[in-house]
Amino acid sequence: MHRRRVLASTAAVAAAVLALSACAPSDDAPDPGADGGATSAAGSEDCTEPVALDVWSWRTEDKDAYEAIFDVFEEANPCITVNFQAYKNTEYNQILQTGLTGSDGPDVAQVRSYGLLQPLVEGGNLAPLDDVVPALAEFDDAILDGARGKEDDALYGVPFATQTIQVFYNTAIFEEHGLEEPETWEDFIAINDTLEGAGVTPLAVGAKDAWFVPTVHDALTAAQYGGADFQQALREGSTDFNDPAYVASIQTFADLEQYMPDDVVGVGYTDAQVLFTSGAAAMFAGGSYELAFFQSSNPELELGVFQVPPPEGSALDHPVSPGYADGNWGLSAASDNTEEAETLLNWLADAEFGQMVANDLKQFSPVPGVEFDEPLMQEMWDLYQENPAPYLLLVDYRYGDPVGTDLMGEGGQQLFLGELDAAGVASKIQDGLSAWWTPGQ
Amino acid sequence: MTAPSGPATVTGPTAEIPSSTRRRRRPLTAALPTGTALVFLLPAALLFGFFVLYPMVTALTYSLYSWRGTSQESFVGLGNFVQLFTAEPYATQVPRAFAHNLLLFAGSMVVQNSVGLLLAVVLHRRRRFKRLFQVLYTMPYLVSPLVIGYLWSLLLSPLFGPVNALLKTVGLEALALPWLGDPSTALWVVVLVTAWQWVGFPLLLYGAALGGLDQSLEEAAELDGATARQRFWHITLPLLTPIIGTVSVLTFIFSMEAFPIPYALGGSTGSPAGATDVMSLLFYRTAFQSGSSNAIGTSSAIAILLFLVIFGLSVAFNRWFRRAERRLT
Amino acid sequence: MATTLAVPGTASATSRPATPPGRRTGGVRAALTSTLLWVYAAVAILPLLTMVLNSFRTNSELVSEPLGLPAEPSLAAYQEAWIEASFSTYFWNSIVVTVGSVALSTIVSLLAAYALARSRSRLMGVIEQVFVSGLMMPVFLMIVPIFYLLDAIGMVSTRTGLVLVYAAVSIPFSVFVLGTFFRQLPGELEEAARIDGAGPLRMFWSVMLPLVRPAVATVVVFRFVPIWNDFFYPLILVRDRTKYTLPVGLTTFFGEYQTSWSTLFAGLVIATLPLVVLFLLATKQIISGLTAGMGK
Repeated sequence: MHRRRVLASTAAVAAAVLALSACAPSDDAPDPGADGGATSAAGSEDCTEPVALDVWSWRTEDKDAYEAIFDVFEEANPCITVNFQAYKNTEYNQILQTGLTGSDGPDVAQVRSYGLLQPLVEGGNLAPLDDVVPALAEFDDAILDGARGKEDDALYGVPFATQTIQVFYNTAIFEEHGLEEPETWEDFIAINDTLEGAGVTPLAVGAKDAWFVPTVHDALTAAQYGGADFQQALREGSTDFNDPAYVASIQTFADLEQYMPDDVVGVGYTDAQVLFTSGAAAMFAGGSYELAFFQSSNPELELGVFQVPPPEGSALDHPVSPGYADGNWGLSAASDNTEEAETLLNWLADAEFGQMVANDLKQFSPVPGVEFDEPLMQEMWDLYQENPAPYLLLVDYRYGDPVGTDLMGEGGQQLFLGELDAAGVASKIQDGLSAWWTPGQ
Repeated sequence: MTAPSGPATVTGPTAEIPSSTRRRRRPLTAALPTGTALVFLLPAALLFGFFVLYPMVTALTYSLYSWRGTSQESFVGLGNFVQLFTAEPYATQVPRAFAHNLLLFAGSMVVQNSVGLLLAVVLHRRRRFKRLFQVLYTMPYLVSPLVIGYLWSLLLSPLFGPVNALLKTVGLEALALPWLGDPSTALWVVVLVTAWQWVGFPLLLYGAALGGLDQSLEEAAELDGATARQRFWHITLPLLTPIIGTVSVLTFIFSMEAFPIPYALGGSTGSPAGATDVMSLLFYRTAFQSGSSNAIGTSSAIAILLFLVIFGLSVAFNRWFRRAERRLT
Repeated sequence: MATTLAVPGTASATSRPATPPGRRTGGVRAALTSTLLWVYAAVAILPLLTMVLNSFRTNSELVSEPLGLPAEPSLAAYQEAWIEASFSTYFWNSIVVTVGSVALSTIVSLLAAYALARSRSRLMGVIEQVFVSGLMMPVFLMIVPIFYLLDAIGMVSTRTGLVLVYAAVSIPFSVFVLGTFFRQLPGELEEAARIDGAGPLRMFWSVMLPLVRPAVATVVVFRFVPIWNDFFYPLILVRDRTKYTLPVGLTTFFGEYQTSWSTLFAGLVIATLPLVVLFLLATKQIISGLTAGMGK
């Protein structure tokens, strides 16, 4: 029977593969199922029963670093082992949903921030942490917004990272063309003109990936539309997105297109990264999460950062760094190991953990009192502390459908394609958001 | 076993409509008695009913309720569906996404299935390298869809991609467009990449069907002087009608549900400017990337709406096709 | 030739008729056809070659020059992929799950398709429509009820649960395609077999089944490949990391902002090789099915 033959051949192939696997590098380092807790001395302390906590995350890039970090926790807490599991980002929300509502779920999990946190809060899947983690009271208020339930204002997570947005630049290229960090808007334009004239792409931007567009827009024009003041005005209801300052910022964004790669809507986010790391472009407007990547992909790249100064007549007269909370550590309401999980959460709000996040993950920890060895990181953090602003569309405008960042993403693309003008993009955002939001909410 | 000795097959010059006799003969044979048929069906029905049908019905009920985050609230009947047609952003995005899916289907029929049929016919007549070609043409299908989209967005990159570089060196610079950055070309890129990945599907199915065809009719027609083209159009094609119908229905279903390739090429918003937005992307955005309270209710309604459209259109298509099949054969 | 089934020997003999008129144009046309076939073969393969080439390069190379030849071809990515994605464990899981589910679904679908193709009753038409409708529901939506279902029967994180789910979702496609092929078969064979005293099962096994071998091979390929490459079902339905399949291991190379392309490509090359082997076997079956004894 031919099927038997197929099966037999397949079995033969399988056998060959398994034989091969026996000869393959034998050190299956992350042996599936074994946790990273090799250092936990089982039974050396008076542990009634060792507890294993399942911790989930979407940061597959950080898996190794987190495992090392949690080793430190396990040493300090010998009765607790941490099973850290990172899932692919695009499916994470769905996995988390089944995990928190079904069996075999996580005890502690990374959850999204601001608007995207709300479905879990409303579903009752997370436990409020105001009393559980007293250290939260010390955190920055704007960052804690990312962990707040919209309706009851309780905190449902321990923020794990702050991201800031600014412009990275290639110091070698700047030196080569005698350029310095801009103090005024005219300086910034002059820099761009010089670079363009010299055949270097001034701004590495890729508009094909819609999520990247609002990031670049905020990096370049947040001060122009008013940063935190604008956010406040929207919350109070004294303006909406058709505000002239906001429209002007979008117009500026359009005007800067000439300094971006040709056909910028066809250029992808990774293309833009390559442009920058390979030295073909001089500046990259993006988030602090880029830093670790830039450094690891091209160690010879010399980086600097600056904030874009606003033009004359802007809502603000000084530059700002937009920032936001990237996500939180949440406690599953269905966890069986609440006590141990709470211990872990308190540790996650502690400066020791925060310092490791800064050192090993090269991310900004929202835990107060963390210092940054890396001078560039310290500089970025200082800039943010001095002049913070919210990454507006992500922070306040993801509480419904459509989300602000998608609207700006699509609108920005239409702007660059010539389908919409600046006022059109602004009203697209306003109209889209009006499906679930009115100024004053 | 004795050779079948029924009425003589139609051979010879009147082979224009060869299978009508075969078709007419079928009702005369004793079909499988219903009882036996049900026994044969039982294992599949049990497995399918438990693991597919039951979850499908459950999913249907999701769309009839309103949700608060992950917890099911109250019964709202068709409320979620009405919202899809009356509330923004769905009122504009749903029809747009549907239109794109239908364009994907049309494009796939024209490119993927025609090329697949052509290749199947050509390969059917060949001796040399037939299997090699089958393997090469189907290889894209064997690679995980996770990377197919990425590979093509890399190849089509206006900055680093070899496609535009090649076009420029050959002198066709006017054609070196930003393929994925232009709303007018982006969807066709999705069509072409999908066709590139899936051409093995019609290729193999048509190939299997061609292999099962009765050669005698074609040989007789050839002896009578019919050209290759005449033989193809008047003999082969009518005989292939049932499998063409099957492939078409399946292509329709896959086009309406397309996800990995549009997602990899255009992201979850269907860049550029929503030109590649399809129903499954809309579902994904609504379910996982919005902070809306009723995300599950709305997204379930989107999926059920998609299901109903696919179901309705494929039933209609099947009915039309059976009629056409009867006429053709 | 009064039989409705061609004896394959004659088919191949007459498929290359020496038609003297137009032999020259036949030659030109044949050359043109060959060229086009090879050109498209190149189009089909080159992007995949890109993937293979890039698997021999390091990530930092890929970042600075996304396309190009390996500067120093290295197998480091392969080694890393094998370890990081726990290939040795996952390979076995993939084989068990994929072979199990494809075998199960093909067997039950063959029986069902035969019944649907050969039965006159109206009920069968409805049942077939119900089967096919299983293809029309997006998996993203169905996965949650399926998860709760498996949870309720305690089959989350089991390979058996995965096999059953995969087999069940493969039924619509298999039944639909096999049904078409069964319907094409002429009824005289069964009539003759019945005259000979064969029961329905015998008819099915000895008569009809061998005739649809090419279709079965095709259906097997079109279920094996998507199940082998699927990462979504195990990602949601399996919690135990030791039970993951290969593609799930590969998803660890996808980061939130950066993807480790060279290890991913290396992993994919390894993961795709068994599919190529399977495919070669299956096409061989398709061809030998055509030339095997069709009219017994």
